[in-house]
Amino acid sequence: MSEKNSYEAGLSSDAVRQPRRVVFITRKVSAKVKEETGPQLMSFPHVILREAIAFQILTIVLVGLALFWDAPLEQLANPLLTPNPAKAPWYFLGLQELLHYFPPLVAGVLLPTLVVLALVVIPYFDVNIEGEPLWAHRGRRQLLIYGGIFAALFVLLALYDAWTVLVPTAVMGALGLVPYFHPASDSRFQKFLGSRPLPWWVMTWFIVVALTLTAVGTFFRGPGWSWVWPWR
Amino acid sequence: MSDEPKAPGKPEENNAVTRRDFFNEIAGGALAIAGLGAAVVTVKYASPNVLFEPPTTFRAGSPDDYPVNSVTYLQDQQVYIVRTDKGMWALSAVCTHLGCITQWKPESDQIACPCHGSKFQKTGTVLAGPAPRPLPHFSLLLSEDGSLVVDKLEIVKETEILKV
Amino acid sequence: MATTAWTHQRLEQLRQTRVWRSIFRRGPARTNRTRSLAVFGNLGLHMMPVKVREKSLSVRATYYLGSISFFLFVVLAITGVLLMFYYHPAVPDAYRDMKDLIYVVSNGVFLRNLHRLAAQAMVVAVFWHMFHVFYRGGYKPPHEFNWVIGVGLLMVTLFLSYTGYLLPWDQLAFWAITVGTNIISYVPVMGRPIRFLLLGGHIIGQNALLRFYVLHCVILPLAAVGLIGMHFWRIQKDGGLTVRDDHE
Repeated sequence: MSEKNSYEAGLSSDAVRQPRRVVFITRKVSAKVKEETGPQLMSFPHVILREAIAFQILTIVLVGLALFWDAPLEQLANPLLTPNPAKAPWYFLGLQELLHYFPPLVAGVLLPTLVVLALVVIPYFDVNIEGEPLWAHRGRRQLLIYGGIFAALFVLLALYDAWTVLVPTAVMGALGLVPYFHPASDSRFQKFLGSRPLPWWVMTWFIVVALTLTAVGTFFRGPGWSWVWPWR
Repeated sequence: MSDEPKAPGKPEENNAVTRRDFFNEIAGGALAIAGLGAAVVTVKYASPNVLFEPPTTFRAGSPDDYPVNSVTYLQDQQVYIVRTDKGMWALSAVCTHLGCITQWKPESDQIACPCHGSKFQKTGTVLAGPAPRPLPHFSLLLSEDGSLVVDKLEIVKETEILKV
Repeated sequence: MATTAWTHQRLEQLRQTRVWRSIFRRGPARTNRTRSLAVFGNLGLHMMPVKVREKSLSVRATYYLGSISFFLFVVLAITGVLLMFYYHPAVPDAYRDMKDLIYVVSNGVFLRNLHRLAAQAMVVAVFWHMFHVFYRGGYKPPHEFNWVIGVGLLMVTLFLSYTGYLLPWDQLAFWAITVGTNIISYVPVMGRPIRFLLLGGHIIGQNALLRFYVLHCVILPLAAVGLIGMHFWRIQKDGGLTVRDDHE
């Protein structure tokens, strides 16, 4: 039978030979945005009550609308007869509009996959923690690089006649250049544009293009996916 | 009761595999094989072996039912029977773009798809629109009793025309 | 006045009984300790933090978009389960059951409208929530993985909406799904087998309807619940909601 080891805890007797731990260095920690602490409240009741109220307001609004707005039901599914036009649900209409310009592999598979990948990767990029504006340094090289990318995109879109994407891209590009050429402007709008960082520009461009594509697919496309004016 | 206490920890100097590592690897491998096997079995389960879908081979009457220089749409099968002075062929009516059913337009001598505006000749060749491939030709044969037989699973070349 | 006092006394007595105390352990939430226990000791609520920063409670901070997305999911689950009582996921029955629900079943049209409305609203809410989180920087470290979970939830939401779209089995449903599944067949290498598995065959028929039904009612909701749980848990563990400084 072995006896239990006896031990004692305490500082090593030979403090010179055994270094004392002064600071504990962990793995590399990424920089994070410093949160302001500020006053705190107990979740119960403050959060719970607010969420309950929000849920009730939401329910009232939904029920009110559901009483008057009927969901559509067309004729029985007929595999032999394609309706004209055959449209996807509204949140995919942007994609269907894109399918009009690019081959199905590109518009249907590649682009959506790239969009999802881009979304997932956003927080792992060299994140602009300080929120530096796009033209903070007003460098010529920066202008040439961004201008080059923009021009390449423009040419590619024009090659495929993708007007629905081209027009919002051109508008966003023009807006993006405003703070470069008018850095000391007085208008509140131009000051706002000037303070926006690069991720803001990319995301806003994406949202504007997506909204345009969806709007066109919903209102401006008729039989055979031809262009129609919605008020006709 | 061992004579001398063994040094704790793994032997780092030599590359010998410890018993612990060996058992870990065996167990990990077994789990991986079991997991892979479970996945394969599940996918095979989900893949039906018998399909209750409409038959893909059908009879289409006799050649005399189709006048020369006509395009007849067989609605139940989604097939066009085309007869010209050169002969007859069976054309798929499913647009090669995204699967909508096309329509024969005799006034413009074209087959048009309502979904995205693809247009085809009655030989199946793409005239306009986003369709990537021409409409496939199905095998069209004449049986002994003189009736046409179409097999939708047999895709034949454009040049194979049934001479009648 | 006397009656309310009497009622209060009876309630207090009820609260002291063994049965009550065996169910509700913490006592009334009048101290910070019992308020903490109300969240920390509750199966449904313990994913939430016990304390929150006051700034994050204002409507302008988040517009409560995340909560709204979750509540819409709850509404959809409840209305969906009720709709399941009358819906047969089979080819001649499905469309008949839709007509049944709209014209014959009491409050059927209301439940169906509510379900469809909440579905459209949830897609909007989830997108809006994602864009709003982006614009207030809620994806920056240490919240990166929660953003990824959120993208996963977006995919689950869209796929839930898409599978549900087929179930009425009308022309709108059938052709929307035809186009969608044909796009899938363009995926290189795996496209055709994936389409075959999804439809349970080559055509959109009985098997496809049943598979979409199982996806819509079982597989995807389970995935959503799991991801939602992780999403809430990560908010608590990563230090709470992100609020932009200019929204004070």
